[in-house]
Amino acid sequence: MRGLTLSLVAAGALSAALAATPRAAHAVPCDQVAGLTNPVYLQVGDTQLSLMKRLARAMRDNTPRPVSLIFTTSGSCTNIRAIYDRTPLAAGVNVQYVPSIAENATWDPATSATLTCQVPAGGKVPDVANSALFNSACTTETPPATVHHARGPVQAYVMAVPKASSQTAITFEEAYFTFGFGMGGMAAPWVDESQLFIRTVTKSTLLAWAANIAVPADKWKGVRRDGSPMVVADLEASTSPEKAIGILGAEVYDSRRNTLKSLAFQAKGQYAAFWPDSSPTSFDKRNVRDGHYTVWSPTIWMDTEAGGAPVSADARYVVDLIAGRSVTPAPSFDMTAVIAAVGLTPDCAMGVTRQFEGGPLSLYKPAESCVCKYEALVDQSSCAACTTTCAAGVCRNGFCEVR
Amino acid sequence: MMRRALLFGLWLAFATACGDDKPDQPKDAGVDATETPDAACFENPQTHAEIINACTTAQKVFKKPSLPLLNQDGSLPQLPP
Repeated sequence: MRGLTLSLVAAGALSAALAATPRAAHAVPCDQVAGLTNPVYLQVGDTQLSLMKRLARAMRDNTPRPVSLIFTTSGSCTNIRAIYDRTPLAAGVNVQYVPSIAENATWDPATSATLTCQVPAGGKVPDVANSALFNSACTTETPPATVHHARGPVQAYVMAVPKASSQTAITFEEAYFTFGFGMGGMAAPWVDESQLFIRTVTKSTLLAWAANIAVPADKWKGVRRDGSPMVVADLEASTSPEKAIGILGAEVYDSRRNTLKSLAFQAKGQYAAFWPDSSPTSFDKRNVRDGHYTVWSPTIWMDTEAGGAPVSADARYVVDLIAGRSVTPAPSFDMTAVIAAVGLTPDCAMGVTRQFEGGPLSLYKPAESCVCKYEALVDQSSCAACTTTCAAGVCRNGFCEVR
Repeated sequence: MMRRALLFGLWLAFATACGDDKPDQPKDAGVDATETPDAACFENPQTHAEIINACTTAQKVFKKPSLPLLNQDGSLPQLPP
């Protein structure tokens, strides 16, 4: 727990600006960068940047099957279109990657900048695209048969305010009036539209919140920002902290807890407001996992297949890892730890699910639970420890999981 | 379960009936940090409404904002064009 806290806070101290501005000097075509073996190109939401950095580092040093993740960030809806329409990343455009341990032993995914190379001549259709919410929130069209979908870890979204704000919670109705009516909504103190920091309409952060407060994405009042770091900067620089409010991915907020605070959210028909975590200071995402916090989406990971087989075996390997599936060869790192470290929640730790953005929650029992392990990573587990067998449940990863 | 649901409904009815004559001074009712389950909660949730109102020891905030634009029956007005 302490390690996770320090990791996230350290990330906040340095990473927002650095991560958004990869080192761009002397970028060369990615296919000319020495050591970038088995490249997989990904186009992901900007909420997934922390995951990309940490996973890319692990994958480069994944001894059983090293893979070089080369990634760029864009809005979820844009990413979906890219893989549905096979839209290539343009040649010469800068994309990001990270060094291996051999190349830079001190590089830290939480605090160090990514490296930059250029999309090679001819452009490159991303091997993997990511949407940080249900695809149906962006498009209702039937996906091409050549696009393979996998549900990855759960992404929570928060409303954040400056640390100096006295506010602690926002209800569904307050959010409806604040963002649906702006100043005219009279939902004090959030009545100044210049202090409502939101996202553009292709971004998962806005679309997820839109589905949860019944305000369509294009109807939102406020200042539309293209990237999460801009919303963070707006909130941190606000001279009217009581009136300021912004929307962020929970993992982005988690890295900025020293300057921002998240509001507990009271969903429609709920008797109280809750944070994603069991308290404002914890990192356990317990309320996401048990349904008390409703503003979350599964991340969707897509790659291309032909005749039922993946076009890129390396891309499918990465997608399966992110989705929590068993892969061969087994990686030399702990994928659950990677996911937990960046503030996401693995599907195997969830106790609820939903079928569309903002849709009703239902109880969920993953085939192979990892609740005990996840809780041990982000807080502390009350589960019995085990080595081979358990009196009840299944011994997995050192804990007696329920199934 | 039915009794619990009835109690919860009554609690909601009372909660929404309480007025506030200071609309320009929103207030948070405060954080419940006692980590004890609330009385109006569901111990064996099955439906969406029960899941989001399930008993929990998580910290929570009870908030009753004053929203002048709410319809008299508590419903939301349509969004402006």
